[in-house]
Amino acid sequence: MARTGTRDETAGAGPRRRRPFAPLAALVLALVLGASPALAQEAASWLARAADAARTLNYVGTIVYEHGGRKEKSRLVHRNEGGAESEKLVNLDGPAREVIRSHTEVFCYYPDNKLLRVEPRTFRNAFPALTAQQQKALAEHYTVRRADNERVAGLDAQAWVFEPKDRYRYRQTFWVDVATGLLLKARIENERHEAVEQFEFTDLAIGQGIEREMVRPTWTGTPRGWQRQELTPGTIENKDTGWEVARLPPGFAKTGEGMRLLHGKSEPVAHLVYSDGLVTVSVFVEHASSAPRAFGRAQIGGVNIFVRQVDDNVITVLGEAPGATVRQIANTVVRR
Amino acid sequence: MGEQISRLMDGELDDVALDLAVGQLKRPEGMDAWVCYHVIGDTLRGAHPVAPGFSRRFAARLAAEPTVLAPRVAPNRPVTRVWAAAAGMAAVALVGWVAFTTMQPDLKGIAIADRSVPYRPGLKPSVVPVDYLAVHHEYAPTSQIQGIGPYLQPATAIAPDARQ
Repeated sequence: MARTGTRDETAGAGPRRRRPFAPLAALVLALVLGASPALAQEAASWLARAADAARTLNYVGTIVYEHGGRKEKSRLVHRNEGGAESEKLVNLDGPAREVIRSHTEVFCYYPDNKLLRVEPRTFRNAFPALTAQQQKALAEHYTVRRADNERVAGLDAQAWVFEPKDRYRYRQTFWVDVATGLLLKARIENERHEAVEQFEFTDLAIGQGIEREMVRPTWTGTPRGWQRQELTPGTIENKDTGWEVARLPPGFAKTGEGMRLLHGKSEPVAHLVYSDGLVTVSVFVEHASSAPRAFGRAQIGGVNIFVRQVDDNVITVLGEAPGATVRQIANTVVRR
Repeated sequence: MGEQISRLMDGELDDVALDLAVGQLKRPEGMDAWVCYHVIGDTLRGAHPVAPGFSRRFAARLAAEPTVLAPRVAPNRPVTRVWAAAAGMAAVALVGWVAFTTMQPDLKGIAIADRSVPYRPGLKPSVVPVDYLAVHHEYAPTSQIQGIGPYLQPATAIAPDARQ
């Protein structure tokens, strides 16, 4: 993971130098790139179509997921029968794991740990038609580009590139099946163009009949001797949490805020969501008494995580953004 | 150069920039900047309060200095001394300017930074509560278009969390 030092981060020991011309430069840039919002909107509508296709189509294929120099291969079957969705994901290498997703719940089987985890499945509109302001924000912080068509898993794919204009975000590329709109490949790269995460279908059949048996779990119910862990729905009460981020990285704006009751926690956790139009960063604040005791940073594929303590509170920040972005947000979480 | 050194002090440099900054420190002017920035940083944080009465004595000394309208040409003065004096002036100007611009952002930022976590790897992903990840994915647009994508993440992240 590259440590992307950025000039505008929280002040530390060293003296600051301001860049008084930055706003002017941004304005000039916005004027020069005046045509971008339309392109951003077109790219966003392709991605909205991809999100829709992932839910409505019948398909079966092999996915290769790469992260941190490792590759994991999985088999995915997705079935939509009269609007009712079911899905089965089985990994083909590494420790065995099976994920069954119905339209209401997700069952994760971990045979080596003898664990079944059940979590609710939530729907949220991915890439709903972007507001004019969001289009503008997206075009201000990414150069959106339609790349040449490429073949992925034997299918003709349209590639969309979101090239960041600063170091606060990753470069993202999406390959979308021209015929059906399904996402065939997605890649997240750091500023050195190294992949931090990549997902790709290596073979895929779309639109064929999928039998119910193909999406059935290997086990029925909770297997004997297994632990069953239920995650609560995590209902959120939308309200002012009393927390805010004092110095948000450019382009990020708050898109959600509320108190959330989570599994195993007696007190609700403050949850704030920030987005730059393409990726999101979540901020969780909870009382130290119920939080895990580890601070620092971690990375899971394209998701960076930063945990710190402020007085009696533990702040956990995570999102599909570079470590420096997540760190800046974490370091400037303050009481309003 | 100053910016790299300032960022080095803040621990913000990536590996490439780090090599560059360390190279600069090997040069005298780089080391001067390093020392100078530390003095400024310490002073701003009140780590080394200036001697009592400093401002009053400084003002008195300044008032006592003759106002030189046209500096006398001193042909026999060694050139190095002139440069040293000029460098001294520049340093004062730099300190004044840097101190001024540093004061612009509220000191809250510095207070926050002092309690911030050093940027180091080491936190195991498994200690991050899985429900945090699950809840986050619900909001992440990119995970929505990948359908079951988030579940592809490494077993370590999805494995039972540390509290169990």
